[in-house]
Amino acid sequence: MLARRPSACLSSLLLLVTLLVLAMAPATAAQPVLRVLAWPGYAEQEVVKSFEQQHGVRVELTVITSDASLWEKINTHSYDVFAVNAAELQRYLAANLVQPLHPEDIPNASKQLSRFRDLVAIPGLMRNGKAYAIPFTYSQMGLIYDRKQFKTPPHSANVLWDKRYRGKVIAYDGGTHNFSLAAQSLRLASPFQISPKDFPRATSRLIELRRNALGFYTQPEESAQLFLRHGAALMFANYGMQQVHLLKEAGADIGYVIPQEGALAWLDCWSITRDAQDIKLAHDWIDHLLGPQASRFLIERQGLSNTMSDGDNGQPEGKSVWLQPPEDTVWREKLWSRIRSGDRLSRVLAQ
Amino acid sequence: MRFPIAWRLGLVLVMVGLLGTGLTGYFAYQASREQLVNASEARLQTATHVLMRQVTVALNDVKADVRLIAQHPQAARILQRSTPGFQALSEENVAKLFEGLMLVHPEYFQIRLIESANHGLERIRIDRGMGGLLRISGDDLQEKAHYQYVFETLQLPPEGIYVSRAFINHETGAHAGEGRPALQVAAPIRDTRQRVIGLIVINVDLQGLFAQLAADLPPELKLYLANRRGDYLIHPDPSRSFAFDRGQEARVQDEFPAIAALLNERPNKEVHLVTTNLASAPEALVAAFDQRRILGMEGGDGFILGLSQPLASVLSDSKQLASITLGIVLSFSALTILLAIFLARAFNRPLYRIVEEIRNFAVDGKVGRLPLDRKDEIGELAHSIMQMEKQINHQIEDLQRQQEMLDHLASHDSLTGLPNRRMFLDRLEHALARAKRQNEQLLLLFIDLDNFKIINDTHGHAAGDAVLQAVAQRLHDLLRESDTAARLGGDEFIIMLEGTWDDAQIEQMVLKVKTALAAPIPYRDIELHSGGSIGFSRFPQDGSTSSTLVAAADQAMYHCKTARR
Repeated sequence: MLARRPSACLSSLLLLVTLLVLAMAPATAAQPVLRVLAWPGYAEQEVVKSFEQQHGVRVELTVITSDASLWEKINTHSYDVFAVNAAELQRYLAANLVQPLHPEDIPNASKQLSRFRDLVAIPGLMRNGKAYAIPFTYSQMGLIYDRKQFKTPPHSANVLWDKRYRGKVIAYDGGTHNFSLAAQSLRLASPFQISPKDFPRATSRLIELRRNALGFYTQPEESAQLFLRHGAALMFANYGMQQVHLLKEAGADIGYVIPQEGALAWLDCWSITRDAQDIKLAHDWIDHLLGPQASRFLIERQGLSNTMSDGDNGQPEGKSVWLQPPEDTVWREKLWSRIRSGDRLSRVLAQ
Repeated sequence: MRFPIAWRLGLVLVMVGLLGTGLTGYFAYQASREQLVNASEARLQTATHVLMRQVTVALNDVKADVRLIAQHPQAARILQRSTPGFQALSEENVAKLFEGLMLVHPEYFQIRLIESANHGLERIRIDRGMGGLLRISGDDLQEKAHYQYVFETLQLPPEGIYVSRAFINHETGAHAGEGRPALQVAAPIRDTRQRVIGLIVINVDLQGLFAQLAADLPPELKLYLANRRGDYLIHPDPSRSFAFDRGQEARVQDEFPAIAALLNERPNKEVHLVTTNLASAPEALVAAFDQRRILGMEGGDGFILGLSQPLASVLSDSKQLASITLGIVLSFSALTILLAIFLARAFNRPLYRIVEEIRNFAVDGKVGRLPLDRKDEIGELAHSIMQMEKQINHQIEDLQRQQEMLDHLASHDSLTGLPNRRMFLDRLEHALARAKRQNEQLLLLFIDLDNFKIINDTHGHAAGDAVLQAVAQRLHDLLRESDTAARLGGDEFIIMLEGTWDDAQIEQMVLKVKTALAAPIPYRDIELHSGGSIGFSRFPQDGSTSSTLVAAADQAMYHCKTARR
């Protein structure tokens, strides 16, 4: 027995070395990466973690807070899958930045509510008989108001320009939607088709909005903080119920209304980029995000709706104006960035 | 002797020595290494403290600048109604002041005077452009009331200073500062009635500021700056700085988990810690972090400032220490081995001498060559061994003496001292062998005493013994050295004579013996008369073996005795 001891030592050493090598191997091996672009609250940490574990991949999540930055990022051709609203999707289609997806590879899609399952019936998701996006969540962009400062709920979007609330209005920092909002307020024929002759008016309207506003936000949390910290009266809720949920969680005494002009409404979908490295994995991601965990979080944590159940999350009644592709997103964003930076009308129009 | 004790002793000494030096070296190394690492950590921590202080001082300088301008009467005058000429002059003066400050402070991106009226219109604005300072005027001046730094500053209490969070400046037309990390420091301008009428805001180049402050740090030290959420603002890897601005997450607590505790502290508490990151070997870092609230900052936010140093460089000193320690351990071990060999030999040599001595003693029984001059246990051992050897020699001599005595007893007649029958036959055999070899003759005389029984019966056994002794003495006196007389038993004696004998010589010899035996033997106060009958036999004439010769002599003696009766 004594003579065997050194060899036992040696073999245990060998075993240890082998184990170490084995333990280090997965760390050094290149893990597949899925590059995801999502809006705040879409891909919660737990959702990402569970996907990573199930598929043995790493998810590189980038959170976007504006259509402009989403467009910019997708154009860098370094992402696989992203969440985009159906209207915005159109310019991605036009620029050939997305690829058709296969609903049959997304088992959870068959469990969606029938109105989301019928992709043909939703404008903009199909092209040449192929599906390019799977609906994920939707919301209206209503108005959040402070019940203490409003005896009766505001009824029109024009309240955002009301001088009585100067410095008490919070608006969203996004050109496309803001121009649609301005067009609504100006009662233009379509919020999504502003004619060149109407652009000065719309721009002027947005400068007025800026002058009436306390500030602008891009993220839901940022908006809630601004609202609470500065005792705001009114907020244009770009993220809709998500912001209502956040403010109520924080104990704010707020109301939420759909203005009579109708609230702009978005339907966010998952889409796969033309550059996707692993198409199967991208489909798996979409399937995972339609799964019970992510769907539950959408409702419970974000106050948003999912496409799986028709639960009542307190969304008010009112007309929805579903977003449509605007006449010229780039132009809207360019003008908005000037407006946002504080340029006066002459300077903005001098573009 | 396969593994001598001295070697074993040496080996044990070597082992003990090696163990001693090894353990001492190891623990000395451990302790020193810990001290080195502690010292490095302390240095790192001090550097972080100093840097944090410098940051605070630098920010205080910015605040002082902002306050100075905001409280300058010229600033307020611009925002108050006056004649256009006077207005223009004031604006010119303030713009010059801004330019002067911007020249002195390369870390300032922009200094602006913003009025609270006109939706926060910029009135005087100096930007740092690619080619130098730019004075922005006319249509290019923007309305900023909807920016946090404006609406927050306008609400500040007297003496309040606004310090923004670190951010990436996305304001269009910000020139050098556009898209760059910045920090805004602002103070309200008040009129004579203390109403807020505008503000002064300085955009500070965050990277420039820290690059300046960190310029004197050793190159191996890397700077980290994070906001209170842990988002990196400055990181050695630029792709991790301001990741939140790009919708991604790169947080200090994910790289240095211990920071999480620091982030949970109240922001106005000054905390610091030294920690390591999660990476292994080449990327492993030791980092010191310092959290401090920026004084006067309204958001209540603070910074986390950190400096890291590669663990390898912290340990490089201890590597040198390790090699020195190893050197010491090895040389002392070598010394131990030499000492052990010396000791083993010193111990071995006298032992070998003793062993050699005992071996020799076994061979020749001679005493000596022992290390008797030593005063230690080995000397004592040598002495004991010598004593033992002497004792052994003594006993051997005794034994030999006793042996000789026993031999004599076995071969001689105890009464007369003559050889007994056994010895005589032995000698006869030898003599026969020699005589046969050398063609010589032997003569045996067989003697039987007369009257011996009568003397015994008449005068007692003591008289008989006296007769036997006297006969033995006379026979002995009669014979040459080479002849042998022996008592065969009772009153029978025999004599063996070597050499050549003719009949006359034999006759003469027999007569000589007879005459000697016939002489009276004094016993106490009387004389005893014995005499003897003698028969002889000769070799080779009468027999060629001892038994035939003795038998022939006996026969002759018997004839002689009967003839005389």
